[in-house]
Amino acid sequence: MKFLSAFFSVSVLALLSSGCTTVVIDEYRRSTGELALGDSVVILGRRHSSDYETEPDLIDCVGKTLHNPKSGVTVIPERQFVDAMYPWFEPRTAPMHIKSLDKLMDIPDVRDRMEKYGVKYIVWIDGSTETTSSAGSIGCSIGTAGAGCFGFGTWDKESDYEASVWDFRDQELSGKISADAQGTSYMPAIVVPIPLIARVQNNACKGMAAQLQEFLLPPQSASR
Amino acid sequence: MNRLLKGIDAIRYLTLVASVSLLAACAHTVSVDGEFPAPVGSPHPLTVGVYLSDDFRQFTYSENRDDRDEWNINTGRAQKNLFETVLGSMFKETVNLAQYPTNLPQGLDLVIVPEVRELQFTMPRETRVNIFEVWIKYDMHAYNQQGESVAEWVITAYGKTPTAFLKSQEAALAQAINVALRDAGATLYTGFERVPELQAFIANKQRALSMKQTGDNQ
Repeated sequence: MKFLSAFFSVSVLALLSSGCTTVVIDEYRRSTGELALGDSVVILGRRHSSDYETEPDLIDCVGKTLHNPKSGVTVIPERQFVDAMYPWFEPRTAPMHIKSLDKLMDIPDVRDRMEKYGVKYIVWIDGSTETTSSAGSIGCSIGTAGAGCFGFGTWDKESDYEASVWDFRDQELSGKISADAQGTSYMPAIVVPIPLIARVQNNACKGMAAQLQEFLLPPQSASR
Repeated sequence: MNRLLKGIDAIRYLTLVASVSLLAACAHTVSVDGEFPAPVGSPHPLTVGVYLSDDFRQFTYSENRDDRDEWNINTGRAQKNLFETVLGSMFKETVNLAQYPTNLPQGLDLVIVPEVRELQFTMPRETRVNIFEVWIKYDMHAYNQQGESVAEWVITAYGKTPTAFLKSQEAALAQAINVALRDAGATLYTGFERVPELQAFIANKQRALSMKQTGDNQ
């Protein structure tokens, strides 16, 4: 019974504690936000690189965090938009530059669908989260007297994302937001492993979403 | 003596069971069953027959090399769905043909017959990049109503999935194949008009239609 209560205490401790993360957000703005009632935002991940892929769950996280119709931000989910516009936003066919949007808008059905969705901004997020280093070791053993783990493990994660905000109606680059996050996770194990996880990708997502909200809304609405 | 023979039989049986279990453990089966969205765009003014052979509909890529586990990858159903959906939206009218070249319905401008030429894949441990990659190559044939070749072209498709996204090798590979098939659909749709013979064929058809319309108006 004592062992069980100790186990639960450790689990709760592990859930409550987490590794430290630092997030640095930079912004380059060319125009002020003009998101109006009925306008929507599309957040898409770049998937053209051969050695990494912007994670769909990060795009999903930014979209869900940003989506708040009451404050004036309506986000169309990535999958829904890419399927609705197939095959024009696939990794190989997606416009890489704002100028390429012109060509796409020459197709009447594509233009109609974009207008139907009320797309004002397209936000392209490019980057990934990687484990940069790891150290330590944990050993577990089972014996007649019981089981347990001993040791210490640590690993560093780094997120590096850049969001390019395209004003779809004015066909111009509105600005860029970059998010660099770093964090170290620890796993001490004294009988039970206690994970102290640094939520690097999640913090990068939250930081980017907060900055995007400020970016996309007109100045007086953003302060609400 | 009898007991000894029975013992040897039992060892043989156990060895056989162990070998079969080991072989089964190394064999991977992937069945891809994707649904694909219809493309957005104006259809070409053609009536097209599409023939997907039984080999194409049930295509299974099997590989059993010394340096790899055994893989059986069935993409038949998914690629049937893809080609039916994409080709079905590309033309004014599309007729799915149960057989070719016999019993062709009248009034077809073209008959399109795709074939799988090649499927390749790499696993993360082979490339040292945490990505599953798939390449598929299709040979595309377009014939006229008389069965003469109008155009032949190749579609290459590529798909990848990072390992971190999925739980098993099979699921990761199936996901990469679905990405490759979406890419094949995109290339088929956007590249059709870039094939010189087809470009000329569509231009002729459009000219004939506009002449007919002018004649009707007069």
